[in-house]
Amino acid sequence: MVGLPYDCLTNPLGAVRLTFEKAVASGSDPATFDGKDWGATDLFSQFLFDDGGLSKVPFLNPSTMTWVQPNTLVRFRGMIQDMLGNEFYVGAYKEGETWRTNKFADLSQFPMATGSSPDMRVWERRLLYCVPVPGQNSWIEPSSGALLNPCAISSSPQREKRQRDNDLAMDDVDMQVTDEEVHDSTSNKKMREDGIASGSSNSGSTPTEGVGSATSVLPNFDTTSFPCLVKIYDSPDSDLKLNDVFEFIGVFTFDPEFPVDKNDNKDLESSFCDDTLVQMPPSKVPRLHCLVHRKLTAQDFISGPLTFELKSQLVKGIREALVGHLTTVLGNDGVAANFMLLHLLSKVHARADSIAVGKLSLNLTCFTKETLSIFGHRLNFALKNLLPFTHYVPLTVDYLNKVSLAPRKDYQTNRLVSGILQLAEGSHLTIDETQLQAGTLNSTGVDNARVLKSLLELQKVEYDFTYYKMDIPADTQLLVLSEGKSNILPADLVLPFRPLSLDAAQDVETEVLRSWRWYLATMRSLSHSIEQEMQKVVEDDLVAARQADRSLSSQDFSRLLTMGRLISLSFGETSLTLEHWQMAKELERLRKERLQGSS
Amino acid sequence: MDFDYNRDKDLAKDFLSNFADSNGEAKYMNILQDVANRKIKAIEIELEDLANYKDLDEEFLRRIAENTRRYIEIIASAIDELMPEPTEAIPDDDHDILMTQRSEEGTENTDGSDPKQKMPPEIKRFYEVYVKASPKGRPFTIREVKASYIGQLVRTSGIVTRCSDVKPLMQVAVYTCEECGFEIYQEVTARVFMPLFECPSKRCDVNKAKGNLILQLRASKFLKFQEAKIQELAEHVPKGHIPRTMTVHFRGELTRKVSPGDVVEMSGIFLPMPYTGFRAMRAGLIADTYLEAMSVTHFKKKYEDYELRGDEEEQIARLAEDGDIYNKLSRSLAPEIFGHEDIKKALLLLLVGAPHRKLKDGMKIRGDLHICLMGDPGVAKSQLLKHIINVAPRGVYTTGKGSSGVGLTAAVQKDPVTNEMVLEGGALVLADMGICAIDEFDKMDESDRTAIHEVMEQQTVSIAKAGITTSLNARTAVLAAANPAWGRYDMRRTPAENINLPPALLSRFDLLWLILDRADMDADLEMARHIVYVHQNRESPALGFTPLEPSVLRAYISAARRLSPSCPEELGDYIAGAYSSIRQEEAKSNTPHSYTTVRTLLSILRISAALARLRFSEKVAQSDVDEALRLMQMSKFSLYSDDRQKSGLDAISDIYSILRDEAARMNRLELSYAQALNWISRKGYTEAQLKECLEEYAALNVWQIHPDSFNIRFIDA
Repeated sequence: MVGLPYDCLTNPLGAVRLTFEKAVASGSDPATFDGKDWGATDLFSQFLFDDGGLSKVPFLNPSTMTWVQPNTLVRFRGMIQDMLGNEFYVGAYKEGETWRTNKFADLSQFPMATGSSPDMRVWERRLLYCVPVPGQNSWIEPSSGALLNPCAISSSPQREKRQRDNDLAMDDVDMQVTDEEVHDSTSNKKMREDGIASGSSNSGSTPTEGVGSATSVLPNFDTTSFPCLVKIYDSPDSDLKLNDVFEFIGVFTFDPEFPVDKNDNKDLESSFCDDTLVQMPPSKVPRLHCLVHRKLTAQDFISGPLTFELKSQLVKGIREALVGHLTTVLGNDGVAANFMLLHLLSKVHARADSIAVGKLSLNLTCFTKETLSIFGHRLNFALKNLLPFTHYVPLTVDYLNKVSLAPRKDYQTNRLVSGILQLAEGSHLTIDETQLQAGTLNSTGVDNARVLKSLLELQKVEYDFTYYKMDIPADTQLLVLSEGKSNILPADLVLPFRPLSLDAAQDVETEVLRSWRWYLATMRSLSHSIEQEMQKVVEDDLVAARQADRSLSSQDFSRLLTMGRLISLSFGETSLTLEHWQMAKELERLRKERLQGSS
Repeated sequence: MDFDYNRDKDLAKDFLSNFADSNGEAKYMNILQDVANRKIKAIEIELEDLANYKDLDEEFLRRIAENTRRYIEIIASAIDELMPEPTEAIPDDDHDILMTQRSEEGTENTDGSDPKQKMPPEIKRFYEVYVKASPKGRPFTIREVKASYIGQLVRTSGIVTRCSDVKPLMQVAVYTCEECGFEIYQEVTARVFMPLFECPSKRCDVNKAKGNLILQLRASKFLKFQEAKIQELAEHVPKGHIPRTMTVHFRGELTRKVSPGDVVEMSGIFLPMPYTGFRAMRAGLIADTYLEAMSVTHFKKKYEDYELRGDEEEQIARLAEDGDIYNKLSRSLAPEIFGHEDIKKALLLLLVGAPHRKLKDGMKIRGDLHICLMGDPGVAKSQLLKHIINVAPRGVYTTGKGSSGVGLTAAVQKDPVTNEMVLEGGALVLADMGICAIDEFDKMDESDRTAIHEVMEQQTVSIAKAGITTSLNARTAVLAAANPAWGRYDMRRTPAENINLPPALLSRFDLLWLILDRADMDADLEMARHIVYVHQNRESPALGFTPLEPSVLRAYISAARRLSPSCPEELGDYIAGAYSSIRQEEAKSNTPHSYTTVRTLLSILRISAALARLRFSEKVAQSDVDEALRLMQMSKFSLYSDDRQKSGLDAISDIYSILRDEAARMNRLELSYAQALNWISRKGYTEAQLKECLEEYAALNVWQIHPDSFNIRFIDA
């Protein structure tokens, strides 16, 4: 950190100001900074990615909320659940003759002239409402131990103490922490001034504010849904999309004392109280001023160093082990295990004319109450261990009639109310249809059934905006468990399930599990192509098949091609070979045979 | 900041008094006279007029657009000076009486020095000034209105999602002082204000009386105020984003102009709304924004109101000159669906429609064409329907088993809040003046099916339920899709059995198409290629032609719909002849079903008129009638292949239908060559023709021919 007068971790705002002052000093006009970066983001990118600072940045989650300091650098992983539009703020203003900036901050560090003046630049930032990825499995949660803030480590004895006698020792501790902080950041003269300035707005000098209240406020945080209001600066609209999973690294601000007088508001805005402050009081929803954001892939969730390489031998080994595991889980049904593997590798890789290419939903039929109680649970457990985001939906008439699957816009609060089907890309959804009894669906139920069907067929979820509906593309792996072929949920593949044994699967070592997770995540993301000669073979095969069986539709063709693609991906290969194409056809033949046998 | 606003006031005065519109009338002075006569209250200054003004000062125009709020004040004060005397007697109301009183007292009561005692100009004004943005160019989407537009006049479009009640908003608060009796004025610019408590007048100040102020509600000036939210239109939202919203404030005359669900275009001033009170101190950095509405226009979604943009008009003219427009347009419908050219042509005609006719005796003849598509599952019927709905400016897509209780026609329902019975329109009513696409027509509820008879011919929905008897308009073109009776078309049964819809309903469709999934090697290969291509290249293969954009289609169709072509006398005989020959043919046929009725005649006229519209012609030509007859014939062929002989089809197809019928009659799949020859010679065909037929249909995979004996074996589809 030599050469950096500001500690990016503990005093990011100082660093922001430093770059701002530098930029102004070098002759740039602050008025032109709107929507642009003057070098602050570069500084942080360098710190995080080139200097290895990323691992030192603590995650923001319910457990770290207890000790993360306001106005420090944190990171938050989550899915963009709602977009709240833009917020206008005074980005730059003149204090006397000096330009100051408020970027990346909620409050100004320096007194501002009230009323508008030409030297006040109004900029905008985007508000994103982020939540932890729905269905996130426990294994991907970052272990907080390894990622402690160095500052927090230094004050860890106090932290423990704090937990013991919570409020009493509070003031005392906070003072110490602040002292340390100030010591941490150099004794540079400029720095001191800043320390005082920022101190007044964060934890330090006023004991009632800051960390003390953070702990007392904590019970308000819902630990299962830990939302975060992320404020995005300068990035183009197209960068961040709804339902994307991102890691945001930025300045955490927290202002528990923010007064929200409900009555006052009622009088003022009786008709429209959709103010973010009212709905999402900062004491419940932390704010994060994003400096750097990056899209996360499934690989990013596998914690710890990755020692795997993309070697065909290794991939084959992992594949075999995984199929073996799936076979055991599925009661020695090898065919089902093979299909399951393909299903787990599927992903929508293109959309052409409303067709989602690459999806492969699986419908395992012939489940009875007994087999479900054994295998359903096992399967669910296995999937949870393999995939980052999984969901399990037991489908009943009652459930369909009550629950809201598709998200809808609530104009009273001006928020997007999430539904169960608002899922991150690549989520896995198991729908258990075995519990479905005969009954009457009300209009909600009909709607829900329709939404499910469109998700299965088109990989799209219709979001309800009352005055119109919007199709939001989804990429969800769907597994349907049912007694007979599901007609409500027409899956791509229907396969009667034939368990042979009831042996329970043995426990799998963590390292092996990690290799499987890595395998699934990596193989899914490989690109794939079909060579010219192979295309010819495939075309001829398809035509021949259709000549033999008129009932084959374009969907069947599409499915067969997808299977071929997934089989070759499962071996880590990026182009279709004749061998794998034959395997796909063979699998399909086995499936057809079973279908005939069961009917 | 020490800008010379007085100069701009003079500019505004000059513009208002000297502007002449295209008729040479002094537009704004006329408006001012109306205002003086208390006929209207709103003065709308159109920037477009200003831009067209002879002594245009570009800078002045720019200043108005960029600092609109300030300039409204300037224009208003200019109007104050220009306001003519009323030319008509106007009844004095409270306001006037108050004003007279004030002006009498005014001189003696004020001590002049205190601004709070000077009467603000607002309180004297009985009009409102709005500045309307130039309608040129595309309006912003809500997303595009950025921080840099603050304070400027912007034009944007969106859908209204919420509306508050209309409430009074204080514009000038008037107090009287208990001590000195002076009237004290306080201008209110924000939504909240701090009332005055102590009299600021000189007399009270000198006397240290601290006179108590009493708010005079009757004397204060209030404005109507309404708050609304608009949301981005679905087509403006980029992929993967959710629609943005914006708050809009309506004042005075603009209130009650919108209701939730309206699609509007509005111009207004984009302004920050500072937080007040305690929140301002804490959140001083952030400001909410709103749009101060200046004008509101409702979007017209009907063809009749479709306004062509400049470039579109040109494009349409260019297209109209192109002789092949009929084919070009029809191919551009659902371009991703392969083939079905005649069906697409029919659908294009459905979009265009024919003019409605009202006879002298009050009878109405519908101009909307109704089309029914019937066919095997998986032949892209639903996709065609959905595409048509997308192209039509007003279209409703529903299924025969509509999910809501309202169904297709209309229902009487109890309002959950007021317990009143309310009439709620179903899909057909909602699609009034548009297109209603009904999928799964065969699975429709019985009750709706009876009602649809009325809709399709009389174009109304009559309701007699729960004490409400009424008739709702449903002037809609019905596009129906249905599956055959047994899911798939059964070749061994008659068309009537397969279609399974009552003749009364069928006769109401102008055209009925049967789309069959026929075995065809080339089509299969085409399909396989397509799918492999999609999987490989992640996109659809190129179409070989560039389809027209739906917006161009819409524009062209709307332009075509403005015409109402008539049928010239001399064509009357021709059509009558064609009609009677169809009737004759049908009389001769031994099949009992007769679908050619007077309705058929009307259909021919309708289709011909639609074709004439497409040519931008006011007269139906014989070629239009011929094309109409061809389309009807083709639609019939798709249904009754056994009628082909009578309809003059070529020998090969005729031979085929003879053989197929005979095979069906004997309920066999195999025919010997000798038998076949026997039958066809009875009908007067030659052996050569039979051979040709055998080869042609074997290629189509309808049957297999034994290489040696030439025996025929039908492939059971």
